[in-house]
Amino acid sequence: MNYLRWIGAFLLLAGLPFFLGSYYNDVYRKMLLWVTLALGYNFLFGIGGQVSFSHFAFYGVGAYSIVIFLIQLQLPLPLAILLGIALCVLVALAVAIPSTRLEGFYLALATLALAQLFVVVLNEGGAVTGGTGGLANYRLPEVFGMRIVGPWYTAVIVILLLITFFILLRLDRSWFGRACRAVRDNPEAAAAMGVDVARTKVIAFTLTSALAGVAGMVYAFVDNTVNPPIFGLENAFLILFMVIVGGAGRHAGAVIGAVLLFLLPFVLSPLVGHHHVLVFGLLVLGAILAAPKGLIGFYDSIRKNF
Amino acid sequence: MQDFLELAVSATASGCVYGLIALAYLLMIRPTGIINFAVGEWAMVAAFGGHLLLSRYEWLYWLGMATVVAFMLLVGWVTERVAVRPLVDKGAALLAPILALLGVLVITREIISVSFPPDPLPVPSAFGFGRLELGPVGGSYQSFFIIAVAALVFAGFWFFFEKTLWGKSFEAVSLNRRAAALMGINLSRVTALSFAGGAGVAGLGGLLVSPNVSAHYLMGVPLAIQGFTALVIGGVGRVEGALLGGLLLAFAEQFTARYAPIPSGYTQGVPLLLLMIFLLFRPTGLLKARA
Repeated sequence: MNYLRWIGAFLLLAGLPFFLGSYYNDVYRKMLLWVTLALGYNFLFGIGGQVSFSHFAFYGVGAYSIVIFLIQLQLPLPLAILLGIALCVLVALAVAIPSTRLEGFYLALATLALAQLFVVVLNEGGAVTGGTGGLANYRLPEVFGMRIVGPWYTAVIVILLLITFFILLRLDRSWFGRACRAVRDNPEAAAAMGVDVARTKVIAFTLTSALAGVAGMVYAFVDNTVNPPIFGLENAFLILFMVIVGGAGRHAGAVIGAVLLFLLPFVLSPLVGHHHVLVFGLLVLGAILAAPKGLIGFYDSIRKNF
Repeated sequence: MQDFLELAVSATASGCVYGLIALAYLLMIRPTGIINFAVGEWAMVAAFGGHLLLSRYEWLYWLGMATVVAFMLLVGWVTERVAVRPLVDKGAALLAPILALLGVLVITREIISVSFPPDPLPVPSAFGFGRLELGPVGGSYQSFFIIAVAALVFAGFWFFFEKTLWGKSFEAVSLNRRAAALMGINLSRVTALSFAGGAGVAGLGGLLVSPNVSAHYLMGVPLAIQGFTALVIGGVGRVEGALLGGLLLAFAEQFTARYAPIPSGYTQGVPLLLLMIFLLFRPTGLLKARA
């Protein structure tokens, strides 16, 4: 019965793009990628209580590494994916192990510096990263003799989204998810209960970073181009804002926040042009001051009252 | 040797700027525990203020500088009122004001980018462009001006924290908020002053560095990273630590850029590297807080 639900969700989400035009298919699948990222970030920030600015940088590490391993080095697809994940894990461990040893928000600053450095590395990387122009003119090799394009590729993104969600849901309901919440709410009490606080933080960060990396690998073949401006700090803030506005710590909140903030610029652009980020900033400030549980909090209070 | 001394002067000047940003963090962290990522944006706002008053309206430098710093004090005070105090009053977790200040960061940056053209804008230096030679040591007027101003600011804050009753009340709040409140210290006034002071110091840093880097709406984040790294290197406990950390970071950066055979952009990795090393091996920073 439970599996039928997942299959139903897949059929619904993957079937939809076949009825959309190519423009709306593009908007739709980018929205699905944002939802995937927001779900992962929600586990780190909402459930684990850690602020990080590198989630989008890991998305970029995944995207660039798959192109470099698969196209430039001509490695087979499974190996390229594994190497990309390994790279994300290594970078994540290198940043998280020193930063989570202390109480406080060192991880936030370290990941801010990492995200800033990542864009510099992309710009200065020469032929490997394609410099400021990035990498383009490649496409996904045939998989089992099939070329996956258009709405069929959107189905791949839906699979990514559902697998990510499945993993996060299982984790959230496991011992590890409860340990993360305990560390978020009261690290001393969690430590007293036998939870290794630093290790829990490092694992949560590394795992969600690797998930972001995998999403980036899928993204690399959406536009068939990767370039530095996409992976800048703007989007790192945006993903944090999505989770805050939607409701931190709730999967449904992350989905609502991601969909809303992704679609908002399309609605706002006739009114404010490219300055929708200003609206995002005001929304976040308003959410923290007036509705700390986010939009999902409103839904909860309505359900409670009726 | 000439080359080395030349570099040493400019590194000392950048180090003083990082130190000022670190001091801005420290002023807010000590009494409240809040890391305010918006300090970089505050430095940026002050740089644009400098462009407006000094370059566009050609005010006298001293008058313009005083006005910008006064304006930044106001910005810090208003920020505390709007984004921090309501949350502290509500008893929200420490994370809430930090996130609210991230919202403020983005709002500040967007307001500047809406109001000014996207290209880097010039900001004049205090004594124009020229070189000052003191024996073997030489550098631009602005470098020496930065060093002098930073030395004054740090001396002032050191005196404030070590010697005055007001400074002691700040220390008391940072040690134990509850006990300090019971002793009759006005907590919300200390918090408001720390934010006003933080914005003033960060703004001063931004104004001082802007002749070299020009006012640009993206200049804030690198400064925020460098300032925080300086704070971790020096240790959050003491005012001198911020300056020491800033100087160390600036020397590491400039000597890497000058002597290491890597593209100059990669020197942006120096703060991250130092941050990791210090968090791993000396998490309390170089200077320990006094017991």
